[in-house]
Amino acid sequence: MSVHALTNHFVNRFSGRLGFLGLTLIYVLLVAACLGTLAREDELSLGRNPLANLVKTVGEFAHPSFLDVWFGNQQLEYKSDDGTVLRVENRQEVEADYLAGLGRATWTTIRIATLGSLLGALLALPLAVLTARNLAAPKPLAWLAKSVLDIARSIHTLVFGLVLVGIVGLGPTAGILAIGLHSMGTYGKLFAEAIESLDMAAIDAVRSVGATPDQVFFNAVWPSVLPQFVSSHLYVWEFNIRDSTILGLIGAGGLGLLITEATSLFQWGRLSTVLIVIVLMVSVFDTISRRIRQALS
Amino acid sequence: MNKIAISLQQVCCIADGRALLDVSTLSIRHGERIAIVGHNGAGKSTLLRLLTGFMPAAHGKVEVLGRDLSTGESPQELRTLRCEVGQIHQGLHLVGRLSAVENVMIGSLGRVTGWRSWVRHFPADEVTNAEAALHAVGLLARAQTRADKLSGGERQKVAIARLLVQQPKLILADEPTAALDPAAAGEVCHLLAQAARNSTLISIVHNPSLLPLLADRVIGLRSGRIAFDLPLSAVDDQKLTNLYRPDEAAPAAPWQLPESARRAVFS
Repeated sequence: MSVHALTNHFVNRFSGRLGFLGLTLIYVLLVAACLGTLAREDELSLGRNPLANLVKTVGEFAHPSFLDVWFGNQQLEYKSDDGTVLRVENRQEVEADYLAGLGRATWTTIRIATLGSLLGALLALPLAVLTARNLAAPKPLAWLAKSVLDIARSIHTLVFGLVLVGIVGLGPTAGILAIGLHSMGTYGKLFAEAIESLDMAAIDAVRSVGATPDQVFFNAVWPSVLPQFVSSHLYVWEFNIRDSTILGLIGAGGLGLLITEATSLFQWGRLSTVLIVIVLMVSVFDTISRRIRQALS
Repeated sequence: MNKIAISLQQVCCIADGRALLDVSTLSIRHGERIAIVGHNGAGKSTLLRLLTGFMPAAHGKVEVLGRDLSTGESPQELRTLRCEVGQIHQGLHLVGRLSAVENVMIGSLGRVTGWRSWVRHFPADEVTNAEAALHAVGLLARAQTRADKLSGGERQKVAIARLLVQQPKLILADEPTAALDPAAAGEVCHLLAQAARNSTLISIVHNPSLLPLLADRVIGLRSGRIAFDLPLSAVDDQKLTNLYRPDEAAPAAPWQLPESARRAVFS
C-alpha cells in the first residue's frame, strides 16, 4: 500500500466528530507525555537566576553597538591591575570598522541568497516539467524527478552546507550550492503546481488554429505559468535571504559568521546590531517582493 | 460552390465502450450554412471534434476539406487541417493572460512561424489585419485589454475577430451564444454569419430563434444518430419538440470529455 493510500485510509478511519475528538485526545496525551518525561528527567529548569540574567541580557541588547559610532568613548583606556595603561582605543573608530565589515557581510549574504535561489530555480524547472501530472511525462522519469525533489526538500540547508563545506571548502560557494540544492525541492513543487493549474482552454484555443507544439508552448503555456513562476521565485528568494543569514555558522561566510562571533564572545550589543540589519534587510525585501507579486496577479 | 467540404460514411465514435456518434452518411457542400440541434449528449460536440481530428473515429470514412481523417493522419497533417478550420466555443477559448489583439493574432499562427511566433512579434501586415478584424467586431477600443478582463459577449467577438484573421474555409461554432443575453447573442450570431460569408459554417444552436441567422439547413441529432436533415424552411416547432423529448431508454449523457483526451497537451 502506498503512503498516499495509507494516509487516506487513516483519514477515513478518523473522520467525523468522534474521530476529531479522538485525535484531540491523542494530541493532548502527546503534549502531556513530552512535558511529563522532561520534568521527570529534571530538564525543565530555567537555570539558577533567570530573571537577573534576562535583565542583564536585555540591557545589553538595548544598547546596540552601532550607537558607539557616534557616542562611543574616543579615549577608552585598557589598564592592568597595577594601573599601567596597556592600550588606548577609540571606540568610535572600532565600531565604524565593525559596521563596514557588517556591510560587506550583508552583501555576501545577499549574494549567496540570490545566486543560490537562481541556481535552485534553474535546477527545478526541468524536474517540475517532468513531475507535473498534466504534462504526462514518462512514468519512470516522473518518479525519478519527484524523488530528487522530495529528497532535496527534506534535507535542511544547513546539512547540505556542512557536507558541501567538506567538498568545496569554506566560503560562499558552499552556501550558494547549499541554498540552491535545498530550494530546488521547494521550487520544483511550486513550479509543478503552477503547471498543473494551467488554463486548458487557452491551450485548446491555440491548438485549434493549427499551431505547432512550440507555438502552443510560447503562446498559451508560457503566458499562463510565467507570472506564477516569477511569484514563486520571489517567495523562495525571500525565504533564502533569511536562510542564508544562518549559513555563516558553518563557514559559508556572511552575516552568520558575525552572529557566531558575537555570541561566542557574549557581545550582545554587536549581536543586536547584526539582528537589526537582518530584520531591516528581510522586511525591505519582503515589501518589494509583495508589491511585485501583487502587480503580477 | 458545389464541391464537397465534408463527407462522413458509416462513421462511429466510441468512448468508454459507448457509441457517442453513429452516422451512416452525411455530406456538406462548400458554402453551406448548417445548424446542428439536439439534446445534451446527442453527439453534437463529438461531431465537431471529429471534424478537427481531436476525436478519432472508431471506424468509417471521414473526409474534411479533401483530407481523409480516418486513415490516421500525422500530427503535422492535422495541424495543416486545423489552420483551415476556424473554431469558436462556449465562451472560454481565449488565452486569458494575453490582450484582445494578441488573441486575434493567434489566428495567424498558421502563417507566422519560428521565433516571431514565440515572442508574438508579428509582421506589420498581420497586426494591421488583426486591428481591422477587431474594428469589424467593434472592439478596437479594447484591443489592449487582457482577455480575462473582457465580458462574455466581448470575448466571443474577439474569437470571431480571430476567425476573420485566420480566414478558414470551414467554421465550427459550438454553442457560440451559450452564456450571452438575447441582445448580445443576436449580435454575435450576426457577426459570425458575416465572418462566414466565404466559408462553410457549422454551428451548434439551442435557441430556435437564432436558427435563421446562422443556417439554411438544420441537422437534428438524437442519441448519436441523425434524426432529421432538412432545409430551414421545413423545420417547425413540432420537429424540434420531438427532438428534445426526453428518452427514458437513453443512458446518462457523456458530454464531458474523458480526462485522457484533455491531458494530451502537446499532441
